[in-house]
Amino acid sequence: MVSTTARAGDRGAFERPTPRLSRRSKRTLTILALLAPAVGLRLFTAVYPYVQAIQLSFYDYNPAFPPKRWVGLGNYERALDDVVIRTSISFTILFVVASTVLQIVLGLGVALLLNRAFFGRGLVRAINLIPWAIPMVVVAVGFRWMLDPQYGIFNDLLDRTLGVNIAWLIKYWPSRIAVIGTNVWKSTPFLAIVFLAALQAIPQDTIEASRVDGANRVQSFFGITLPLLMPQVVVIGLFMLVWQLASFDLIFAMTGGGPGYATQVLAYSIYQVAFTGLNYGYASAVSMILFAVVAVTSAVMLFIFRRVEVTL
Amino acid sequence: MAVLTQDAREGAARGLFSPAMSKWLDRLIFLLLLGSFLFVVLLPFYWIVLSSFTPKSELFTTPPRYWFSNLTFDNYRALADNVPLFRYMLNSLIFALGSSAVSVAAAFLASYALARLNFRGANLVFAAFVVSIALPQIGTLVPLFELFKNLNLINTHHGLILLMSSLMTPFTVWILVPFLRQIPFEIEEAAVVDGARLHQVLWQIVLPMMRPALATLFIINFIISWNELLYPLVFAQRQRTLSVGLVQLAVQPTAGGGRPWDLLSAMSVTMIVPVLILVLLFQRLIVAGLTRGALKG
Repeated sequence: MVSTTARAGDRGAFERPTPRLSRRSKRTLTILALLAPAVGLRLFTAVYPYVQAIQLSFYDYNPAFPPKRWVGLGNYERALDDVVIRTSISFTILFVVASTVLQIVLGLGVALLLNRAFFGRGLVRAINLIPWAIPMVVVAVGFRWMLDPQYGIFNDLLDRTLGVNIAWLIKYWPSRIAVIGTNVWKSTPFLAIVFLAALQAIPQDTIEASRVDGANRVQSFFGITLPLLMPQVVVIGLFMLVWQLASFDLIFAMTGGGPGYATQVLAYSIYQVAFTGLNYGYASAVSMILFAVVAVTSAVMLFIFRRVEVTL
Repeated sequence: MAVLTQDAREGAARGLFSPAMSKWLDRLIFLLLLGSFLFVVLLPFYWIVLSSFTPKSELFTTPPRYWFSNLTFDNYRALADNVPLFRYMLNSLIFALGSSAVSVAAAFLASYALARLNFRGANLVFAAFVVSIALPQIGTLVPLFELFKNLNLINTHHGLILLMSSLMTPFTVWILVPFLRQIPFEIEEAAVVDGARLHQVLWQIVLPMMRPALATLFIINFIISWNELLYPLVFAQRQRTLSVGLVQLAVQPTAGGGRPWDLLSAMSVTMIVPVLILVLLFQRLIVAGLTRGALKG
């Protein structure tokens, strides 16, 4: 991310001297013109809405009954007392932490598996991309159908092998386990891809040397491979933490937050408050709470990134 | 397979198994793990495809069918009768093509400025792009909805494309900047010395060199926007994409509380086929694109 600054001086060649503009200001204009589309898009659809949302979060505002009413911190106080919001905050955290831990562990396992040489490895690696590539809504609908207590294949397999039948999406903990499991299925392959690329960058000699020295496979994994993969594990793990905090598609299409509020996540609560309840001010306040959670996680992430870079 | 023989030697040293036996055992465990991995990944996929070709009457039976028996296209026919499938596909296609084109183009220009035209604050702008990846999309919806209403951008293709391309631009910049920095600088320099203007350098020298990277990002962004739900759901209820159509079918209340799994599975397969073709055709490019971003961040 940080490199080459040595070439700073020699960019002036792009500009011809013109009577009006100095080389310097023409260069500045060129840079601005190149950055304008991308920066403009971000200002328009990310920065502006966030500034607006901060402001809106202090108002009571229903678009069907226009005048906004200043309520100060009222929306925030209400959110902290709201059982639905509190449930969704705690389940969001559980969902994100459990998903990320499982994705890392299983992702490492899959990466180790696909790093070995075997016939058809290219095809298996392509298959590994499928869960990443297909839409989350299809995954949500497909798993919902698989988990159907009556007609679904998953329960039938469970019944045949273990003799149990679970009404997955109707009970409290089973539904939570089901959405986390589905989410892990969807994103583990992505982590495996990243870990696999990192594995391939580790010189094979290093591992073989440790094995010649008498380390067994488990020892050489924890002693050599895992420490070398640690930067990727930390970076992608924290990235997944932050990114999954805003999960929406899966819950919306799979459970609708139910049964009751068992699988309610923050992003889905915000959507409901805003577009079902038409409570724009309150929705903005809850958005800010989500933003605060993301910001704190990101700050921790940046702190740890520095640590990791130093210890490398 | 040096690792394998090593294990075999260990096994022999411990006297537990003969070298051949140990090697065979190692192979067996590996195949078992690989088999379970493939089973877990492919089962949901197989189940959706199987359901979409199973007659509706056989779909709702206990125990469920495990194999293709009476292959039928009835579910697809019923789907086309029940939803404006062609319209949804067209909307998805316009949305995905437009968003990937705009995001790759905007990110290309910005990355060139950030990677090549060293200026004060370049690192700061780059960091701002990267940080903005973390901004939850959901938090922008209410203000954007108000803004889009005032600008008459609701239910328009260009409005949706603006939103989606903006969402993908930071990630695209994040991957392109390190990529550009790896490309040797001398050719551009020579062209500039020969009197080329910036647009000529960009168009005739940089663009051809970056074609594989830009194509890869175009494919990745196409897949991401083809799969996108939230923006089309909120901003284009009258220009529904496949994802919105699918979700609508999945969550709408039905008589008796049952779900139209025949239609849902057929629609899921319809939606998966294009991304599946892309993945099989461009597996290597996609993996390279995803890991470059993840590794060189």
